[in-house]
Amino acid sequence: MSVPLDRVERELAKLWDESARAAGTSRASLLTLVALVSEPGLLERAQAAVAEVVQTRPCRTIVAVWRPGDTPSLGAEVALHRGHDGGPVCGDAITLEATGAAREWLPGNAERLALPDLPVCVWWVGDLPDHDDLFDRMVVGADLVVVNSGEMDLRDLTKLSSIAERSRGRYAVADLTWIRLRAVQDMVARFFDDAEGRACISGLTRVTIEFRSPPGDEDAASTQAGLLFGWMASVLGLPDDGVSWKRGSGWAEARLGRLTARFEAKPRADVRPGAITRVALESGEARFEIERQDDPLVFRWSRQVPGVASPPQALRVHATEEPALLARCLERSKRDLLLETSLRTASRIVRSVAPRLSVVPPPR
Amino acid sequence: MDNPFRVGLETERAPAPCAFVIFGASGDLARRKLLPALYNLAVSRLLPPGFSIVGFAVTEMSEDQFRASMREGVAQFSRRKPIDEAVWNDFASRLHYVSGAFDDEANFARLRAKLDEIDANNGTRENRLYYLAIPPSLFPKVNDQLARAGLVADPSDASRYTRIIVEKPFGRDLASGDALNADLHRVFHERQIFRIDHYLGKETVQNLVALRFGNAIFEPIWNRNHIDHVQITVAEDIGVEGRGKFYEEAGTTRDIVQNHLLQLLMVMAMEPPVAFAADEVRDEKVKVLRALKPLVGEDALRDTVRGQYGPGNFVGRPVPGYREEPNVSPASHVETFVAMRLELDNWRFAGVPIYIRAGKRLTKRITEISVHFKDVPHALLREDGAHVEPDVLAIRIQPDEGIALRFVAKVPGPTMTLRPVAMDFKYGSTFGGSGPEAYERLILDAMLGDPTLFARADEVSAAWRFITPIHEAWASAPVPTFPSYAAGTWGPPEASDLIARDGRAWRRI
Repeated sequence: MSVPLDRVERELAKLWDESARAAGTSRASLLTLVALVSEPGLLERAQAAVAEVVQTRPCRTIVAVWRPGDTPSLGAEVALHRGHDGGPVCGDAITLEATGAAREWLPGNAERLALPDLPVCVWWVGDLPDHDDLFDRMVVGADLVVVNSGEMDLRDLTKLSSIAERSRGRYAVADLTWIRLRAVQDMVARFFDDAEGRACISGLTRVTIEFRSPPGDEDAASTQAGLLFGWMASVLGLPDDGVSWKRGSGWAEARLGRLTARFEAKPRADVRPGAITRVALESGEARFEIERQDDPLVFRWSRQVPGVASPPQALRVHATEEPALLARCLERSKRDLLLETSLRTASRIVRSVAPRLSVVPPPR
Repeated sequence: MDNPFRVGLETERAPAPCAFVIFGASGDLARRKLLPALYNLAVSRLLPPGFSIVGFAVTEMSEDQFRASMREGVAQFSRRKPIDEAVWNDFASRLHYVSGAFDDEANFARLRAKLDEIDANNGTRENRLYYLAIPPSLFPKVNDQLARAGLVADPSDASRYTRIIVEKPFGRDLASGDALNADLHRVFHERQIFRIDHYLGKETVQNLVALRFGNAIFEPIWNRNHIDHVQITVAEDIGVEGRGKFYEEAGTTRDIVQNHLLQLLMVMAMEPPVAFAADEVRDEKVKVLRALKPLVGEDALRDTVRGQYGPGNFVGRPVPGYREEPNVSPASHVETFVAMRLELDNWRFAGVPIYIRAGKRLTKRITEISVHFKDVPHALLREDGAHVEPDVLAIRIQPDEGIALRFVAKVPGPTMTLRPVAMDFKYGSTFGGSGPEAYERLILDAMLGDPTLFARADEVSAAWRFITPIHEAWASAPVPTFPSYAAGTWGPPEASDLIARDGRAWRRI
């Protein structure tokens, strides 16, 4: 239902009231989730994702989008989120549509419409624009900022790292791609859970990360692969300055002290662009490998450490759809220091191969 | 040295690879609860790689038949439907079966061979979790055979573990409970023993801990200065459902009060532990049992009521009385209902009566703890002598898990008319979907070696120390006139008298 901006709360209250009379709805809210949609084409996806998240994380959702236009205007639509199959109301939904210069009004209005006394999560949907202060203005009052580095390119790792640093603890930064990486990180960590595995860590000399090539990518490294290696390099304490790179068609190799990291793009249609397909590590005679199987949700985990029997395992991972990742992000309220460290390390490692930051655009 | 790749890594709770052996795998518990719980852990990706299940039972069947039977159980009783074929196929490939008597050494040699094979193929590294889904009378046989077959690791061996999960009943009185503990301790160290009480795995019971110790507003008023009394109800609307033989031996006091109900009491009344860790929590729980004012002799007869259901109706259809149930004596004096007035002799709850009731074939199925606060000290807003209802905080354990707060509000209008209103928080409608079943949580905890939500030996012993004198008092009293309540009611009238004696009434639930 379209409503004037100053009637948003009143109309929502009316909808809650009607629903309560019909079904005895009581209200419980955990937070306000603000989805800032960076381009109109992503609006539907954002709305679907928040509608799914609200099923298990009751909250107010504010989806904000802007379109070009000469006359600045800001309109609002309100509705209630209902449980699947006509279940009880689980939250209220506000959509803000800005036209032209009214885009600048979004931060103030989103803040005004946030539920009192509850955390605010700002989810930036899509790529992060360069040199745009809307993001900074949106996150001023946020407790949690969610991005998706998988929708960005390598240079954005630096940008994300500086965003995390700039937050100075005022808000936590979460990354949907980082959450998606957890299963891979867990499988890598499993190599070293026992003493025999841990003994190989200091001798690691080579890491190979294969991934589905992002379309149009020229760097032979996805942000996901970069972030994964950033994590490994920070765990291993590898030097992240003075990294030397060799590059070829569809591959790149970085030399960090004693270790060589190879990134290689592989054709694979049934996983997301940038998704990890294989990780292999070498330490002397020992070999460690996880490889995505024909079933894209199954990895083969194998380890060959001389003198130790480690039968290979087929490990099934969760399908990690956007709403599930977003819901996982909302579970945490404190800074993810491991993500921040991994971002910082990854951004330093890829600095010399990531495209230059784009030039400052002319003022609009 | 710790694994540096685990530092700061937020992964799900990931247990080490292990083999899970179910003794009594062809029984109802395995089919209805254990396999569905394990399957759901697999769906949630919480089982470790290489995890394997070995069913052990007397019933002869092949591994394929065992898998088929377990699949039926999962299809029928899992909270997630329909079965995810990809997950099931992987899960089923990890199901094995060994048949044979529990006292035959050769069968345990076969079990050992099977476990060795699993260790070699699946990397389970001699980590073993045994689940005794068998009658307690068989525990000693299984324990002895496990020890004889070399299937029990030394608890100090950090490279592998052996744990055993034991189902209630943990004995039938103080002597048999202690004997059972002693028998387990012959083979296992206490830290290897996980006594399961599925009530502790319920989300709401854990949330009671969160409510009390995660909020600043409740703990300051959680004491004798503000609480008038507490009621705990564990009511079932069903009868003994084919468990007549068991019930004739147990009765409601042994079946419900000694374990589930006292667990709820302990969590409601315990002092804040210094940490949410196994021994710290269980130390505080045991102190509650030790503070229970003993009910001995005349005190027991005065402050307890037992009853037995007669014929009645359940949702509009006639149902038989307890004595007409299969495998029940027509002259049985076993109680199917019990109510008690308890007191805790400690600083926090001294003088606060705790009324408990539990029974079968009651009006509805509900488990609830209600904390009834004292009247306001001065009836400022009393209207023509009308009584202002005191506040009640109700923690509903099942069904519709949630928390309700009843407080007084002004009715809109020109007069100061006050009425109690209920503010109801329901987990299901708030968080959507279904949370993990109690068995899922508890089995995962056992795999992780976390006994916080399991009963410790001294806890079981302390519970029997309180319950046994009550049974002794009942045994010395005249035979009660049973049946004493009709099926479908809230128990015998004496239960209402017990609480009315103090000028109070059971909460309408």
